Order: sequence, then C-alpha cells, then structure tokens
Amino acid sequence: MSFRRRIRPSRGGGYEVRLSAEERTLLTVLPAHLVSLLEDVGETAPGDLPDALRRLLPPAYTTDPDAERAYVSMTRQDLVEHHRESLETMSVTAKATWLDDEQLVAWLAALNDLRLALGSMLGVTEDELEPPMGDAHRAEWTAYMYLGGLQSEVIDILELTLPDPVRGVDDLVPEDHWGEPPGGLRWDGTPMPRDP
Amino acid sequence: MTGTSIGSTAAPTEVERPETHEVAAPELPWLVIVWNDPINLMSYVTYVFQKLFGYSRGKAHKLMLDVHYKGRAVVSSGPKERAELDVARLHQHGLWATMERSG
Repeated sequence: MSFRRRIRPSRGGGYEVRLSAEERTLLTVLPAHLVSLLEDVGETAPGDLPDALRRLLPPAYTTDPDAERAYVSMTRQDLVEHHRESLETMSVTAKATWLDDEQLVAWLAALNDLRLALGSMLGVTEDELEPPMGDAHRAEWTAYMYLGGLQSEVIDILELTLPDPVRGVDDLVPEDHWGEPPGGLRWDGTPMPRDP
Repeated sequence: MTGTSIGSTAAPTEVERPETHEVAAPELPWLVIVWNDPINLMSYVTYVFQKLFGYSRGKAHKLMLDVHYKGRAVVSSGPKERAELDVARLHQHGLWATMERSG
C-alpha cells in the first residue's frame, strides 16, 4: 500500500496539509454537526446524554452521585467550551493548506472528539474494528476509519513537539493496587472486553 | 472585647501551643484512574499521558499498556482538588478518567 503523508511539517514552520476536496468537506461538516449537538447539554448527567456525547462528557465519580453533580456543575461549561473550540477550529480551517501549531493541536482534539462521537454511536468494541457486513451505517464506519488514520498521522507529528519529560515524576505514580486484570464491569456498566 | 475591665493591664497570658499538634494527619490521597476503551488510539493515550503529566515516553507507554490490558491504571494521585483537576484535563482530552480515594 503506498502511503503519502497528508500532513507534514513545513520548512518555514507550521504544517502543510494535502487533502482532497472530499476529505476537506468531511472535516468541515462533521465537526460543525458535533458542535450543534453540544449546544444544549447544560448539566445533563453523563448517563442521560445521547450516545454520541457520552464519551465527550464522562463522569468523574461513579459511586458518589452528589460528588458527581458537583463535578459536573464545576467543570461542564469549560469542558463543552474546550470541545467546541477545537471542533470549530477544525471546521473553519478544513480548507486550509497550511496550519500553525495551535491549529494542528486543535485538529488532534477535534479528530479524537469526532471518533469518540462516531465510535459511541456505532457501538465500536475491541474486537469489532471493521463494519459488520451489510451494516446500515457504512458511511459512518468509513468516516470513523478515515478519521483514525488521519489522527495517527497527526499524533506522529505532534509527538515530536512534546517537551522533555519532567524529571522525577515517573516515580510519583502509585503502584497499581489491584494487581491482576479486574474483569467485571466498566465504569458505565458494560462488561469488560475479554482478551482475544 | 467583652469582660475586660478598662484599665486592666494584665499581661496576656502565653498560650501553650504544642508544635507537634499543629499538623493534622494527612488525608488519604485520591487516585486518578484511566479506564480502557475501544475507541482511543493507543498512540494517542501515550501522547496524552506525556503531555499532561510530563511522564517519560517509556512510563507513558507502560501506563497505556496497563490501561489496555488490565482495563484500568492509576495515572496520578494527590489531594482531592489536584485529582479533580487531573480528571478534568483528561476529560478534555477524551480519556475515560474517574477518581476515588485510595485505600
């Protein structure tokens, strides 16, 4: 498979973007649509959100409803704003042939948000990485796969721009006190996938 | 202000303040946990751990593998406010993070 980089560092700084007209249309329309879905979320509890938004606004506390309500009321507005800014940046720069660093970081966030929304809607699981045969949502699956490829490219580029690691912080992470794989349920009540 | 007669010149009595009792016992720290999910790319999760916490690439990669294979990993710990901030930053980056008290 021949592979052409669609995004790459530009000699004078920033990044060159080479995408087809179809790709650019997709990257204009999808984020704008997700922004419109985010408009009326208010402080709806994570469990009551539509599938597409559930992963964008997840809970912080799973066993303490009061603490969760306080968390939502404290953070929800900022979180929605954060998603909206990245998505809008992508939507308005989708036709650009050059991006600056900040815009590419926004693209990474927007690509991830779009994949979270689409993946949740499609019910993507660990072992189902391709559209089921005859699936009615083939277009969404195609978009989901496409966005993943583009996101991988952006990560490869932005990885190189990370600052040096902070000395000593590696050792501050507490040991995993669970030991073995937990199995059981995820935070949202769905079963943990079993290793293939 | 009350109960002191005007003109009283009694020197203030020295209050005993045993220094050893000044510091309250530290609260148990909170743990910030990231959960496995089928959507986030492994390279993205590693990138986010490096970016948000300043971990080395090796450490971030190991934490990502723990998330992927064990289903969850503790990625930071600290006082409640600190943990809430970390959870919020992880949520901004689209990761499944929750927090709970250690122990």
